[in-house]
Amino acid sequence: MNEIMAILPATIRSILTALPSAVREHLEEIRLRQNQPLEIRFGQQSSYVTAAGQLTANARQGWTFTEEQSVKLLNLVSQHSLYTLEEELKRGYITVTGGHRIGIAGKVVLERGEVKGIRDVTSFNIRIAREKKGTAQKVLPYLFENGRILNALIISPPQCGKTTLLRDIARSISYGNEWSSSRKVGIVDERSELAGCLNGVPQRDVGPRTDVLDACPKAAGMMMLIRSMSPDVLIVDEVGRPEDGEAVWEAVHAGVSVICSAHGAEIEEVARRPALGKLIQSGVFSRYFVLSRSKGVGTIQGVYDRSLEPVDKGEVAWLS
Amino acid sequence: MVKLIGAVLILFSASMVGWQIGRFYAYRPVQLRALLVGLQMLETEIVYGLTPLQPALLKVGNRLPTEIGQLFQTAAGSLREERAQNADEALRLAIDRHWQQTSLRKQERDVLTSLGQVLGSSDREDQQKHLRLAVTHLRGLEEEARAEQNRYEKMYKSLGFLCGLLVVILMF
Repeated sequence: MNEIMAILPATIRSILTALPSAVREHLEEIRLRQNQPLEIRFGQQSSYVTAAGQLTANARQGWTFTEEQSVKLLNLVSQHSLYTLEEELKRGYITVTGGHRIGIAGKVVLERGEVKGIRDVTSFNIRIAREKKGTAQKVLPYLFENGRILNALIISPPQCGKTTLLRDIARSISYGNEWSSSRKVGIVDERSELAGCLNGVPQRDVGPRTDVLDACPKAAGMMMLIRSMSPDVLIVDEVGRPEDGEAVWEAVHAGVSVICSAHGAEIEEVARRPALGKLIQSGVFSRYFVLSRSKGVGTIQGVYDRSLEPVDKGEVAWLS
Repeated sequence: MVKLIGAVLILFSASMVGWQIGRFYAYRPVQLRALLVGLQMLETEIVYGLTPLQPALLKVGNRLPTEIGQLFQTAAGSLREERAQNADEALRLAIDRHWQQTSLRKQERDVLTSLGQVLGSSDREDQQKHLRLAVTHLRGLEEEARAEQNRYEKMYKSLGFLCGLLVVILMF
């Protein structure tokens, strides 16, 4: 939170400091749109904020984010050096110290039909990163067999704690845990979400024996890591494209364990996707974790083995 | 005897005044050159090194002679301490503070302030364009300054001495 405060213009900083502490602690998003009231999201709710730092449902009472403020904010975020953010402006989000992410929107500039960047940035979505350590505790017992790390696929709809779980698994394996000693971990972080890298340095705790390939396409990255960093386990977020499937296939047969995630609500659904279906049919994964938010973010709906039979090692766990 | 000492004093001080004015002409091209080199280093830092503006200014400032270097250093400092809201303001602050100590003129000042308005606020290509433009401007001014130096430096130095001599002659 302090890292976020440091990059906000003084006016916004003082408004946010005036928020009730219960709200401030659960802040998830700060949304700023030019000429619109300041909006925050906390817990499952959202609300406008007045200039005095009070919550209001009335848009007219909200403190208005002016053009001047948006220029200032962009200046502070870019450290007065917009040219350092070319790649980020192309992707539409900026990762800042602490792994927080600022989504941006505005006027898009094209070059030969491709997005070159965003000019006149008018909308900011500051997403506050919260690490939840220990979420992997419930899945770790299923991940190891005779000291080997099993290939696993985490299946989850969006916003169910998939990335958080994957990160915690990476950390637990990298530090070592009660089921296995510490291992070398390789992360291919295509969307800079797992490790939240800033200038290549992970801003989240992903463990001392973890190598991160930041912003690298998954398929290419997995092969690069295998060749260059000899990881014991590869961790990849959101496998979905055909080439990703092939890279997983290659990695598994190169003797590296792979733990990855995919969007979906149940195994059957994921199995119908061409890239993953082949992997599932040929029994590449030994464990499947299905997440949902039925009992809050990060509920483990089920754990399945290679033949898609439920694995029962006690009751179905609940992460948060 | 006293008259003689007075004459020597007058001659000496008049030459010094001439010499000072002459030196102004001698320093300007040197400082212009330093400023030019500074902007070129800044271009390298920005375009190839992708260094954020504040450390880039500081780095360049440390490598230049004091009079010009402190312009960059002060700008970097006010950016870091948030005394300036943006690069433009930072550069203005630095210029206001140190311009008197340089031998540079209003033309150079204009080049710098107009550069400040765009510094850091666009993509690499654009930054390069503006930095190159400023460098070209300064090159022109440098040539002009050298020509002036050739013409006026010696002239003011001898003029000082000769004026002193005139006063002395009138005195006797």
